[in-house]
Amino acid sequence: MTIPERLKDSGPHPLAHQSTAGGVSAASTQPSLVLRDLGISFGSKEVLRDVNLQVQPGQFVALVGPSGAGKSTLLRLINGSHRPTTGTVSVLGVNPGTCGRRSLQKLRTRVGFVFQQFGLVGRLSAMENVLMGTLGSLRMPRYGISTYPRQLREKAVANLERVGLVDQRFQRCDTLSGGQQQRVAIARTLMQDAEIVLADEPVASLDPSASMSVLNTLKRLSAEDGFTVVCSLHQVDLALQVSDRVVAVRNGSLILDTRTSDTSEEALRAIYEKAKGARP
Amino acid sequence: MSGTMKETAADTRPDGVGTKRRRSNSGQLPPGATQAVPKRPRVSAATLGIPLAYLAVTVFGVWWIDIRPAAVAAGFGDIARLLERMVPPTTGPFPDLLALTLETLWIAVAGTGLATIASVFLAAAASRHFTGPRVVRWLAQGIIIVTRAVPSLIFAILFVRIFGLGPLAGGLAIAFHSIGMVGKMMADVFEEQAPSPREAIASVGANRLQNFVSTTLTRALPAVTSLVIYRLDINVRASAILGLVGAGGIGVALQTAIGSLNYRRAAGIILVIVCLLLILELVAYLVQRAVAEHADEHTQSQLHVAGAAQADPGWNRSRVLRTAAAVSALMLFLFSLSQLSLNPARLGQAWDNAAALLSGFVPPVFTEQILLGIFESVIMAFTATFFGVLLGLIIAVLSTRHLIRFEPLSLTLRAVVVFMRGIPDIVYALIFVAALGLGPFAGFLALSISCTALASKFFTDSLQNVDPAPLRALEATGAGRVQVFVSGVWPQFVPSFIGNSLFTSDLALRESAVLGIVGAGGIGFLLDESVATLNYQQTAGILIGLIVVVVALESVARWARRKVI
Repeated sequence: MTIPERLKDSGPHPLAHQSTAGGVSAASTQPSLVLRDLGISFGSKEVLRDVNLQVQPGQFVALVGPSGAGKSTLLRLINGSHRPTTGTVSVLGVNPGTCGRRSLQKLRTRVGFVFQQFGLVGRLSAMENVLMGTLGSLRMPRYGISTYPRQLREKAVANLERVGLVDQRFQRCDTLSGGQQQRVAIARTLMQDAEIVLADEPVASLDPSASMSVLNTLKRLSAEDGFTVVCSLHQVDLALQVSDRVVAVRNGSLILDTRTSDTSEEALRAIYEKAKGARP
Repeated sequence: MSGTMKETAADTRPDGVGTKRRRSNSGQLPPGATQAVPKRPRVSAATLGIPLAYLAVTVFGVWWIDIRPAAVAAGFGDIARLLERMVPPTTGPFPDLLALTLETLWIAVAGTGLATIASVFLAAAASRHFTGPRVVRWLAQGIIIVTRAVPSLIFAILFVRIFGLGPLAGGLAIAFHSIGMVGKMMADVFEEQAPSPREAIASVGANRLQNFVSTTLTRALPAVTSLVIYRLDINVRASAILGLVGAGGIGVALQTAIGSLNYRRAAGIILVIVCLLLILELVAYLVQRAVAEHADEHTQSQLHVAGAAQADPGWNRSRVLRTAAAVSALMLFLFSLSQLSLNPARLGQAWDNAAALLSGFVPPVFTEQILLGIFESVIMAFTATFFGVLLGLIIAVLSTRHLIRFEPLSLTLRAVVVFMRGIPDIVYALIFVAALGLGPFAGFLALSISCTALASKFFTDSLQNVDPAPLRALEATGAGRVQVFVSGVWPQFVPSFIGNSLFTSDLALRESAVLGIVGAGGIGFLLDESVATLNYQQTAGILIGLIVVVVALESVARWARRKVI
């Protein structure tokens, strides 16, 4: 594990973040994520503007907001898939917007990403998909479970056990349920020993029961390993149940940043209602 | 019907949506109420113009090739007399023939294997998802286009000049031409994949090669396997005739037999070729079915059983079969490479020959003769496709159960088509040249037969796959068999009819470019002669002309398909 031991010992991190919107007190540890005056435009369309955010290690941040608000773009900026037009991103002390291909690959080995569509190769087994999470730390291409070192295979089994899928490890992924597939994707990020996990609407394709199970798994693992989570969600009730902190985006701007305990379902729903009302 | 059209025409809005007054339940229209009525679809200029243009080319082709009923009737008499001289067929010394048959197989396997390896890299670089330098992508696309445009027999002529007579030239000729098709189709497979696994693996920090192998190639594997087996089937067919230009295989024996007027042996060799192709077609069909079943989602949930340790995959029947198939294919490929008479001395000489050939290409020469030859090839291909499609359609309709339900007729027609398809076009051309003399008429007849066989195969498959639900609905209304065919079958069949007709014409064009090698008209004769007389500047001119025409006509066909379907 690359997470410092002190973080593991301290369990889930208390809300000790600094924020421009929330006005919460400063933390003593180095932040996992710092966004300063961040903005991005695609052609003439401005998708995000003046986003400022600081996230401390171990926090579970729920990112909410209506469709098209810029949540996915924000996560992709953090992951280095997009380069910002203005401002800077600092992930684990590295700016993905300015680093070269090799440095970005190196950074990505420390940043997990959970996708709405899981991003699994359906015709391969759950175990092989989980093992793919280690590719960034390996040199050569791999095909087949046996081409990965034994140590990694044992770690993959252990991680599948943590997400409750060890019995399905040799099962073909496209025969698993949606919730099971997303848990395989989470096990894949565990293989990275990620210090921060970005999740882009990870439960949007799942039924309510599977959604709760997937988010609880992510929450439990984050607490056990001490990694930071930034998770975009549409379901405000789920956001309130699993997160320590809620950040809301609307029309490309960050409009809310607060402790979860300081907000309510009605307040968050109002963000969606206002967005509906704003549409012509 | 016409009354309704007249009534609504007066209410048609300028924006193209017709309106008519809405009637109440009693049939009366409430005052001021209107109802949208779809405008009668207009037949586009392309829908009418393209078939008419094709018909005009065919009529011109009939005049150019001088296809007269009397000449055709006389020609059949000559062919019948030649066929009489082929009976009973003999094979000559059987061990020699067996060795040549196996050489044909090794050429096809080695060529297909080499093409597959090269195509993986080319397709990855040519695909839309390639993120490397743009010039690499253009280069890969260029290689795919050029190799697809030049038929394998033409590559064989060039490689025989470089590597000398024998299977090495044949194997490389098969490989080069196959790259065009396999590379193009592989790139299409790569491009059709959903991007999410690729994005997911990029997000774990994997490099491009790791990502390509783990997500793109892994997902494409069933489709690529199926594609390679399909291409192997085509390549065995192609390698059976490479011997006609000295590039190894059973075609050498056929050329010798016909050259020495030993028609009984020629017939025996043709029968061996047909049997070989039919057996391989059956094998290819069975393997493809197995691959398709494996590739289907949800067919098999447990890929491995647990091994000795918890983290080790164990062996089940499916894994044993998959591994055995992969190892066998690899061994077969390596063995086939060893059969290509590859040695360092030969390669050293080949380097000098290739340098001489390529430097001789500059500057290319374009003559009137070249233009005329290419023009003749195009006309032969188009005219033969017209008749082939027409006859193919009749055979397909009679072979399926939509109009005629007489099983013996259907079975006989299918058997005839399978046999017709078993004989390569150039073999037909050889027979027709021997019977009717040199010229495009022999080439036209050869191409017509192969187009008929090909088109009827495509059309039969399409007619069998039409959705039966609308047909049952029409039958339930009391419609007759012809009515069901016209209203239920035909509209469903039209898109595939057009697509397959254009595809047949595309294949016919490549084939017609090589028929001249045996004297059956078109540019092939001039090409063969230019290489034989070391007139490489003319060879380059022909190759460039051919590539330009094939690529241009392919683009026209693509445009026509888009417009008409």
